Amino acid sequence: MSADAIPQSRAIPDRVRRDRAIDVGGLILSAITIVFALAAFFPIYWAVITSFKSESEVIASGLSLWPKRLNIEAYQHIWNNTRIGYWYINSLVTSALITAIVIVSSAGCAYALSQLDFPGRRVIYVLILACFMVPMQALIVNHFVLMAQFKLLNTWPGIILPQLIVPVVIIVYKQFFDSVPKEYREAAQMDSAGPFKILFRIYLPMNWGITSALAIITFIGAWNAFLWPFLAATGEATMTVPVGITQVKDAYGIVYARLMASAVMAGLPVAVVYLLFQRRVTQAIMLSAGVKG
Amino acid sequence: MADIVLSEVSKSYGAVSVLERVSMHIKSGEFIVFLGPSGCGKSTLLRMIAGLEEVNDGEIRIGERRVDQLPPGQRGVAMVFQNYALYPHMTVRENMSFGLQNVGTDKAEIGRRVDEAARMLEITALLERRPAQLSGGQRQRVAIGRAIVREPAAFLLDEPLSNLDASLRVRTRVELAQLHQRLKTTMIFVTHDQIEAMTLADRIVVMNNRKIEQIGTPMEVYSRPASRFVAAFVGSPAMNFMPVTALAEQNGRAVVTTGGSVIVTNIASAGLPSGELTFGVRPDALRVAPNGSFSGTIELIERLGDRTLLHVRLLDGSLVVAEDVGKSQLQTGSPVSLAADGDGTHLFDAAGVAYHAD
Repeated sequence: MSADAIPQSRAIPDRVRRDRAIDVGGLILSAITIVFALAAFFPIYWAVITSFKSESEVIASGLSLWPKRLNIEAYQHIWNNTRIGYWYINSLVTSALITAIVIVSSAGCAYALSQLDFPGRRVIYVLILACFMVPMQALIVNHFVLMAQFKLLNTWPGIILPQLIVPVVIIVYKQFFDSVPKEYREAAQMDSAGPFKILFRIYLPMNWGITSALAIITFIGAWNAFLWPFLAATGEATMTVPVGITQVKDAYGIVYARLMASAVMAGLPVAVVYLLFQRRVTQAIMLSAGVKG
Repeated sequence: MADIVLSEVSKSYGAVSVLERVSMHIKSGEFIVFLGPSGCGKSTLLRMIAGLEEVNDGEIRIGERRVDQLPPGQRGVAMVFQNYALYPHMTVRENMSFGLQNVGTDKAEIGRRVDEAARMLEITALLERRPAQLSGGQRQRVAIGRAIVREPAAFLLDEPLSNLDASLRVRTRVELAQLHQRLKTTMIFVTHDQIEAMTLADRIVVMNNRKIEQIGTPMEVYSRPASRFVAAFVGSPAMNFMPVTALAEQNGRAVVTTGGSVIVTNIASAGLPSGELTFGVRPDALRVAPNGSFSGTIELIERLGDRTLLHVRLLDGSLVVAEDVGKSQLQTGSPVSLAADGDGTHLFDAAGVAYHAD
């Protein structure tokens, strides 16, 4: 080190020195976060490795964190001996239809509540807010009786209809539409656009981010829905994936590898959707929690 | 192009009245400016013509058609908003085409009109950009372009210059005047800026407190304000007002005593009310003169280059603003004598009604 270098090092401001020092608080927080992340991830990891083990290895004593031999027998069995193909189709069709209908109807409803002036607007919004407070479970008997009377049990419409009530999507859309300057609507009105055109050509495209975020969480919610599809679909041909995998357990007793394989297969599409649209999903969760994204 | 006629138009929100029995006739091709302070109802009136606000009473006609019950898109008018309201997800071309698509205009015709308007406004190079990629001035042009392509009977402009910086505002003002000369279409322009009103308008509609105070050419509004409000609102610096303490008559003209001075006006004394009066004179009609009617001391000098404004404390304690030449040699604290030009004098009665020099 040259003699000139000494005063230079002394001249380093305190702030820079603090930045270079070890951030103990940050380290502790990071460590805690990592521990919680591992704890959350471990069951998924355990399900995946169990699904690749042979049944004898699964029930063997001792902790085995990695299969001795990668075994896809459980997956083959599920694929060949259950109606998982149907369940996938049922889940895909019902979830996609629920998503599409919820998004379109909620956007329309929210636009009307936010932008149009009609008698009873406030009362309707209060009713929607009230619906938000009532959990699905509280209405499930009514839904079941209604669907039975309509003879819609064990049909796609029977699975779909009660799941179309998603007030949070209306509330989030309304908040967004409220925040859009009214001049955009008025400019479109001057441009001879009607309410539907204003909604679908101006308001929704102005922020596809919100629509895509809401669509993703609606899709994930519909895919993961268990209670209502479990009641509405009693025949194997109309079951969705989460309901269908209960049949794996019932038909074969407790065969852990197969059970885990079916769970992995059920969760895989949602995991893929989440990984592809991670940022949007986070945004949607924050929006629906009332926090601006 | 068509005349726009408003007859006894009123508007209220519940019990709150915002416009009361407003009537006016806007001639085809006129540049009309609605001028007034915030909350006077000028924007509401414009929005009622546009169809964005319901008319509670009265009627609006554009040409032969009664339009006050028609939706905005069917009135044949186009509007430029204060914040432009360009659709952010559409390109400039799409923004300009949207209105024409909605009324089923042929694709080739849309292209022709958009290209022609873009050429006229010199925004051809911007047609494929989105609003976020444009400057404030460019957005302004696009907003005007969006209105032009519809070939409307009238343009409605709601404070379109207020979001621009000072120099761009002046430039755009000139361009707007040139555009009006070229298009010869009726334009209704809302502003609270009197310079915009004076420079752009064929006629100014001065509004205050839910009513029209005066409709006239810029010079009429400036020289012969219909009321004390108009006299105070139009003109910068504002007109000087002084209470009249005595009123006499000389050769049929009113002679008033005010500010401790006697002033012979050119206002006919016949017809003046007997009650309380206020004398008014604009700073440009109150000049430095050796033996003027008013005497006082200069408190403040504002040098504007081409003219000098003198804030003078009169002997009776009232403060007036007078004008002197740009190269005025006067200094703060100096005594000064002022003379009012008889032709530039005004009197206002207790109700604010104005009486002018002939």
